[in-house]
Amino acid sequence: MVDLSVKIKDFKLKNPIITASGTYGYNNEFDAFCDVKKLGAVVTKGITVEPRLGNDGERIFETTAGMINRIGLENVGIQTFLDEKLPVLKKCGIDFILNIAGSTPENYIELAKIAQENNFKAIELNVSCPNVKCGCIEYGVNKQALYELVLMVRKHFDNCLIVKLSPNVTSPEDMATAAQSAGADAVSAINTVRGMGIKLDFINGEFRKTSVAGGLSGKTIKPIALSFVDRISKVIDIPIIAMGGIYTLNDVFEFFSVGAKAVQIGTANFTHPDIAEKLVDDLEKFMIDNNFKTIDELQQKLMEA
Amino acid sequence: MKKNHIGKITNIQKINEQVYSIEFSSPTLEKIVPGEYISILCDGLTLRRPFSVANFENNTVTVLFKMRGKGTQYMSNLKVGDKIEFSAPLGNTFKLENKKTLLIGAGIGVAPLLYLNKELKKLGAETYFAAGFLTKEDILGKFDFVTTDDGTTDNKGSICDFLKLLIAGVNPEKIVCCAPHPVLKLIATEAAKKGIDCEVCMEKVMACGIGVCRGCVIQIEKDGKIQNATVCKDGPVFAGKEVVW
Repeated sequence: MVDLSVKIKDFKLKNPIITASGTYGYNNEFDAFCDVKKLGAVVTKGITVEPRLGNDGERIFETTAGMINRIGLENVGIQTFLDEKLPVLKKCGIDFILNIAGSTPENYIELAKIAQENNFKAIELNVSCPNVKCGCIEYGVNKQALYELVLMVRKHFDNCLIVKLSPNVTSPEDMATAAQSAGADAVSAINTVRGMGIKLDFINGEFRKTSVAGGLSGKTIKPIALSFVDRISKVIDIPIIAMGGIYTLNDVFEFFSVGAKAVQIGTANFTHPDIAEKLVDDLEKFMIDNNFKTIDELQQKLMEA
Repeated sequence: MKKNHIGKITNIQKINEQVYSIEFSSPTLEKIVPGEYISILCDGLTLRRPFSVANFENNTVTVLFKMRGKGTQYMSNLKVGDKIEFSAPLGNTFKLENKKTLLIGAGIGVAPLLYLNKELKKLGAETYFAAGFLTKEDILGKFDFVTTDDGTTDNKGSICDFLKLLIAGVNPEKIVCCAPHPVLKLIATEAAKKGIDCEVCMEKVMACGIGVCRGCVIQIEKDGKIQNATVCKDGPVFAGKEVVW
């Protein structure tokens, strides 16, 4: 028997395959395609204190080997999450990480307190969503602001606290170190990369332009993510949950080889809605076939490669 | 029932310069109701491409598609016997009601209405199918009334130019339409003015196809409140009067 479980602080995941915030809904939506409870965890869509309608206008733009989104954190708000989404998670036996976002420190504290009251096993702080104009971007790109925010949230939440890092920074090391010093139990990286897509049509002698500026994700950002994870893993000791363009088991292994302890699958869920479950199966099969007993052992081997 | 299927191409035909008809069968796909759509995985592309269903029988889906970009390019190169991966059924359905119905399609928008028309007739509903195209060569099938923008058929102009005449002539209890956004808006507004039930079938760039990513939202008014609705999951069919145009 192989043991696929990984532990992040006291949060034990049955395997290291997690689905990323914003790509998997709130609970069992992907049961139409796969068995969601088999996954290590589902990170919920980013939750704010109040419901949000998100951005106006075009929200998605497909790029070469990726996509740009500017959803603007549309979500049902924490109360509806507790009333309607949480019972489904519990009923289906899905392990989850609550992703929280806010535009003020008070927002984050309020959400952290609620997560604590409900004894949620883990929360992920969205400090890097580049979409919200007056919101969280400052925390994710300023090490002092990030440090203070994580410190504050830490005071109100005892379980596993994960900080999701933005790649849109000059020094990944500074941000990861700030999160660790403030008491984070893990970091997840990377959030989407700031980007812009433009479509030009030339009709009757006039240019018509459609542009979407937002967060770039998908295969195209994997090299950026690998570099980011590689850099921060050299300066922090807390576990790294890696994401960015993961589509195959080999992609997962690449991230393990630069120090990731678990991974998140994001945009790939849109291309292949059953991919997360398949990766769990592929990982298990690889370990059985190649006589790896634990994820630790596999990761060790990959780190040495 | 899982929504992921592998389909085998049983037929593909070029109908005109820009439009293809493709048929594929999948033993795991048991049912598609008019209005529901499918989403096809296209080689090398991040996002699946949504298509309305022009017919469904014996586990076989018919899709009409117009050349647009990389997704349809991929589709046009498929051959009989090739396999495709697709998600289905997605989205909501038209209301299948035994009412005198005026169906209005513009261009490739006739596709989901072809299937709807067939099922409405099975129910015994009286239907009248009007369709507008740019030119004679673009006409996709047989309709009760056809317009062409360039006048290569009897009725010159867009389908919108004939809307009032059509409503007066047919006197429908219900209008169902699928067309570009401005055409839908015009039809829905006119239907509301006349107090006729109206369903519109909408289109938007989609990512997930199941309502989770919130990438394809439109605004609707329900219970006196403006709210978001996803075209992919809450739609693609909406009551004309609930859409915030």
